Amino acid sequence: MRTLRDRAFWGLCFVGLAIIATPSIWVLITVFAQAAPVLDWHLLTTTTAENGLLNAVLGTLYLLVGVAVLAGIVGIAAGIWLAEFGTGRFARGLRFCSEVLAGMPSIVIGYVGYITLVVQFGWGYSYLAGVVALSVLVLPYIVKTTEVALRQVPTFLREAAAGLGLTQTATVWRILLPPAIPGVLSGLVVALAISTGELAPLLFTAGFSNGYPPLNWFGHPVPYLTDVIYTDLSLPGATAHATSAAAGAFSLILLLLLIVAGRLLSRRARKATAQMSL
Amino acid sequence: MNSAFVVDNLSFFYGSAEVLHDVTMTIPEHQVTALIGPSGSGKTTFLRCLNRMHDLMPGTRVEGKILYDGQDLYADDVRPIELRRRIGMVFQRPNPFPKSIYENVAIAPRLNGYQGNVDELVEKALTKAGLWEEVKSKLKESAFSLSGGQQQRLCIARAIAVAPEVILMDEPASALDPIATFVIEDLIAELKREYTIVIVTHNMQQAARVSDLTAFFTVETTETSRTGVLVEIDSTDRIFSNPQQKQTQDYVSGRFG
Repeated sequence: MRTLRDRAFWGLCFVGLAIIATPSIWVLITVFAQAAPVLDWHLLTTTTAENGLLNAVLGTLYLLVGVAVLAGIVGIAAGIWLAEFGTGRFARGLRFCSEVLAGMPSIVIGYVGYITLVVQFGWGYSYLAGVVALSVLVLPYIVKTTEVALRQVPTFLREAAAGLGLTQTATVWRILLPPAIPGVLSGLVVALAISTGELAPLLFTAGFSNGYPPLNWFGHPVPYLTDVIYTDLSLPGATAHATSAAAGAFSLILLLLLIVAGRLLSRRARKATAQMSL
Repeated sequence: MNSAFVVDNLSFFYGSAEVLHDVTMTIPEHQVTALIGPSGSGKTTFLRCLNRMHDLMPGTRVEGKILYDGQDLYADDVRPIELRRRIGMVFQRPNPFPKSIYENVAIAPRLNGYQGNVDELVEKALTKAGLWEEVKSKLKESAFSLSGGQQQRLCIARAIAVAPEVILMDEPASALDPIATFVIEDLIAELKREYTIVIVTHNMQQAARVSDLTAFFTVETTETSRTGVLVEIDSTDRIFSNPQQKQTQDYVSGRFG
């Protein structure tokens, strides 16, 4: 009886695993199979104007850099504040806002970004509007992982620092952050992975162009991969559909690279904490 | 004999619970004062009042007065950070930073703006803590590569490097084996020439061996509360041979606790 129940349980777990694994493998196979007819070097040497993807790949990377800087700085700062200084009503309020933001549909963020940044501020479809909209979307993840990573740093290090008369700032920067950094970075990687795959917040803010990503942050639209996926799929013709799939394939490759980086960083984080628990 | 701390009717509260009641005592300079007593008698709580470590925890409150060097520790113009540079602390479990041996000793003086030669300071502090000979060839290695006893001496060196006047020790040998414990006890005897030492210990033999004065705390229990109180403080010889209070007599002779 007992072994039967055991087996049923493990069987169920296995089925669950298979249900998770199947679509992700299926997506990979389908995307690469669909992209196969156009997968060659011209994708990386020509722009979308000539059925290439170079400008879109560059644009996506360009946007990711912006998000890493903007959302990274704001999110990590907010996470540090919540973990080390955030007590009382204001901190609870901030945490609540962050949670609400995490559940916000991305298209709403795109829409509000359009109304505010593109129209009211007069930025037009632009790099900065895109970066801000994406940053707002991923901020909660960075805030949360930073807060958690700092809270996992053992209390005895805080006490040791206090006992030596270190200031709170020195304690955070020199004692608490170093062991938390791998955790913080893996949160950043998740945020970037999400940014890679988002279309809705960018559609209304970054616009799209067939040219190269602009150096001017205002008034010039930016190309990026997810728009190609969407637009080319709605165009008629086999080449357009294959190009759409190829853009998807590039997004997936970027995503995989980011996930691998995230894994490596979390492993380092675990090692650092294991070493500390004497 | 000059006094380092003059404690006047000190009570301590966690929220509304009074965990230490009405302690009055004088702690002399350049002596080792041991705080003994059963669990819950407030020894560690008292120790942590002496350098305002409780400030880190919200919801705690102090009543009464502690004068250090003539100054009220809890006065509004006292900055706890500066206070803790003068009154250092060694904790129950060795708690080195996850950094190199060298960096553990050097980091606080550097961050606190030390102007002199840091290499010399590190060597001096490690020498005073009786650790220099053991670690001088591997200063760049992780502090976690050291044994527990060595780590605790590293923490003592780290405290010394800030140039405190007082070192508070919270059961510094309780996580160590007997040999490492004796090394620490020898070290305490050395250190009292330069520093005032207050040490909490569960181990009465240790108090008898290392201290000049001993304060005996006990716990008063009612149905709803457990409060630590000071029974008496006297020379260690008298506390262990001829205490004034029967409670102390019972405790040190092993009839209680």
